[in-house]
Amino acid sequence: MTGATELHTEEKREITLRVHRFNPQVDSKPYFDDYTIQVEKGITVLRSLNYIKEHVDASVSFRAFCQAGICGSCGMRINGISKLACTTQVWDELSKCKEPGVIKIEPLRNMPLIKDLIVDMDPLVDKMKHYSNWIVSSMPEPEMGQKEFLVSEEEFQKYEKATDCILCASCVSECTILRAHKEYVSPAVLLKSYRMNVDSRDAIHDTRLGELVKDHGVWDCTHCYRCQETCVKHIPIMEAIHGIREDAIEVRGAKDTSGAKHAEAFMEDIEKKGKLVEATLPIRTNGMAWTLQNLLPMAMKMIMKRRTPPPPLLVKPIKGIKKFREMFREMTEHVKAEQKSHKK
Amino acid sequence: MKPFDIVIVGGGGAGLYAAMEAMKTNPSLNIAVLSKVYPNRSHTSAAQGGANAALANKAKDDTVELHIFDTIKGSDYLADQDAVDILCSEAPKIIRELDNIGTPWSRLDDNTIAQRPFGGAGRPRCCYCADKTGHTILQTLYEQCLKKGVFFFNEYFVLNLSVNDSRMKGLVAMNIKTGKIEAFPARTVVFATGGYAKMYWNRSSNAAGNTGDGQAIAYRAGIPLKDMEFVQFHPTGLRKSGLLVTEGARGEGGYLVNMDGERFMSRYAPEKMELGPRDLVARSIETEILQGRGFDSPAGKYVHLDLTHLGADLIKSRLPQIREMSMYFEGVDPIEEPIPVRPTAHYSMGGIDTDNDGRTVMDGVYAAGECACVSVHGANRLGGNSLLDILVFGRIAGRTAAEEARKFEPAPITADEISQTEAMLRSYMRPSGHFERYGTLREELGQTLGMNVGIFREASKIRKGVQDLKDLQERFTHVRVFDTGDVYNTNLLQVLELKNMLDLAETVAEGALAREESRGSHTRTDFPQRDDGKWHKHTLATLEGGSVKLGEKPVTMGRYELQERTY
Repeated sequence: MTGATELHTEEKREITLRVHRFNPQVDSKPYFDDYTIQVEKGITVLRSLNYIKEHVDASVSFRAFCQAGICGSCGMRINGISKLACTTQVWDELSKCKEPGVIKIEPLRNMPLIKDLIVDMDPLVDKMKHYSNWIVSSMPEPEMGQKEFLVSEEEFQKYEKATDCILCASCVSECTILRAHKEYVSPAVLLKSYRMNVDSRDAIHDTRLGELVKDHGVWDCTHCYRCQETCVKHIPIMEAIHGIREDAIEVRGAKDTSGAKHAEAFMEDIEKKGKLVEATLPIRTNGMAWTLQNLLPMAMKMIMKRRTPPPPLLVKPIKGIKKFREMFREMTEHVKAEQKSHKK
Repeated sequence: MKPFDIVIVGGGGAGLYAAMEAMKTNPSLNIAVLSKVYPNRSHTSAAQGGANAALANKAKDDTVELHIFDTIKGSDYLADQDAVDILCSEAPKIIRELDNIGTPWSRLDDNTIAQRPFGGAGRPRCCYCADKTGHTILQTLYEQCLKKGVFFFNEYFVLNLSVNDSRMKGLVAMNIKTGKIEAFPARTVVFATGGYAKMYWNRSSNAAGNTGDGQAIAYRAGIPLKDMEFVQFHPTGLRKSGLLVTEGARGEGGYLVNMDGERFMSRYAPEKMELGPRDLVARSIETEILQGRGFDSPAGKYVHLDLTHLGADLIKSRLPQIREMSMYFEGVDPIEEPIPVRPTAHYSMGGIDTDNDGRTVMDGVYAAGECACVSVHGANRLGGNSLLDILVFGRIAGRTAAEEARKFEPAPITADEISQTEAMLRSYMRPSGHFERYGTLREELGQTLGMNVGIFREASKIRKGVQDLKDLQERFTHVRVFDTGDVYNTNLLQVLELKNMLDLAETVAEGALAREESRGSHTRTDFPQRDDGKWHKHTLATLEGGSVKLGEKPVTMGRYELQERTY
């Protein structure tokens, strides 16, 4: 038998971490520093950063705590994608580099930058508070501790995946709505809200839902699925968002808010014509006054650029509309039946 | 700043439960939680297994009494029996309370809270939520604290306890985001800062921040620490990071193999093989490595945990987490290759000496959780009892502080104290001359502890460890913080945490040297037997004249007489 050291000499490579730097006390704007180091197989991005901090440049700043993928501290963008540095292998990233051998490390987006790779988590906590991301128990406090609630496995399964969320804020960083509107509720808070609303022990379902359907709430999501694609815990976040919407329409009715009305108008068009009547969609969603006030300038611009949608009367039903309507009805009934059985 | 009635240091399970209970006990109190991380990042989240409580949902014949006996026996009879009584009697109530406020417990067929068997327990009494129990408990407690409007100072690092003539006046802390040093005058302070096992560094399963800050601050303020020599090692940590590979891997049939390709457990536990008790397996792996039958690598010596013979299907369906961990943290797919493992420091039984109500010897100062030593774990903690400990004693400490807060009159923390602290921090940022690097010192700290005060201990080695620690303390006076900025200076934080670990490491080493017996996690090769005549007592460590002074405290006995601990 040969010596142990010989048996396990590990392959090493030279790599460069291109790290986003910003110190608010001295820098007017962020820049990048390149750190080139030797890395053996099996090393994570976080361990590489630790190495740089301890041996090359002690001022590089980032958060890290458990280093085991459960505390959610080390969320950052690695080669453009938000993920945890502690669970990301350097060798896996090497195939994703734009410039060979250079891994780009940036802070999470959509949150205020504090320093280098550190962003402010307070806005996220504030949103958790705003949307009551907690259970208000249906049991009075003095009775607590005496008996447990009985919870079926089926109900537990409804929120089981959602409770995997470690609030790493990768989804917050990847969210396309948040890039345009900082006030938007955010995928993480929608997920947590959903988790609370399907829990039978909770007593404020309707109040929470009432807040979620307001401006910057659940209807603002555009279904880009970035949150779900990049979730480090593989949580089906979009299912939660759809879940809240379905719940909202059922509990509060289709005429409740512009979001619900928009969904309703969508359905109406698809059923009648097989496609959208875009010109009247804003009116049916938000009303005539709002549309004139908010969209008139854009409509003028669209006319100038010859990008106007066809007038409503010219929107003819698609070819084979009869067959399509049959399919549509079948699907609608199927979905309704499924929802019913789900509730049982 | 207006004085607080209660300042809780630490936002893990113990700290959050203390905050909740304090608010419930007296809603008019002015309460704050200071945490160096956002509370939901705390290490409570890493606890996978569960929390023990004799709910008797799974085994109808389980009782609180059986839980008490298992805990005392597990502690190798060093736990205080009245404290264990409280721990186990309160358990069913607190687990139900967590259910009542929304903890997503896994469920049994009859819709009650699920329970499963755990090491050292005579009945299946460990309540769980899949393999993320600690995470879900922490989330629930954080949510409830947000609901109740607990005042959080997130990302504040506590520097010292302000004490004048043995009267506690509050805390001095650094706002990490701004670097500003701030005074927190307080009538009472509750320490709930978690364990200190990270001093073994990459031979530890702990989070980077489990540096025993609360214990070190209390110790430097003159409060005694108890049973510090007891540190629990888990047999299978990953080689590079020390992160845990859970027992499930061996439960499903994994082999432990040395460099010669031998399943070496046949020499230590021929019948149970890889499924022997935790401490025995840990000692066996360590022996293989010490006798030169381990593998070597730049990241340290190790043995193999081989799952390859189990096949891809079984690994994927039954051990997906373990596979994910090996791939994430070692770059090894256990379907293809064996996992490199070695024992890893996992839990600190010792901590700030408290009574059963969470009080320390200093008026107005309380402690709870892994940071404290009541003691309910004695020389060895049972799986499933650590989450329970933080919940039960976190709540008790919060209640006691709330009841007693108004007994103590607040006193101002002077501007002098603040500027002295500022000067101390600035002194780490020396411009030039001879200096030491944080990373080097910390690496050597972990190494000397692992080698000399690790699983196997003997006088000559521990003395070497004690000497190494003295040298490291001396070298620490030359440590240099290179980052001279104020905003989020993690370089400075690391250095402050290192100092906390160094101070506590001395108490661990001195305690280990003094205790000339083997009990629970403390194995002396030169004193292999438990010695009840001489050592059935707690050790107390206090700081006197810059070095550790050891004292002792009797163990509170009860219904259970001393017996040999066999399984």
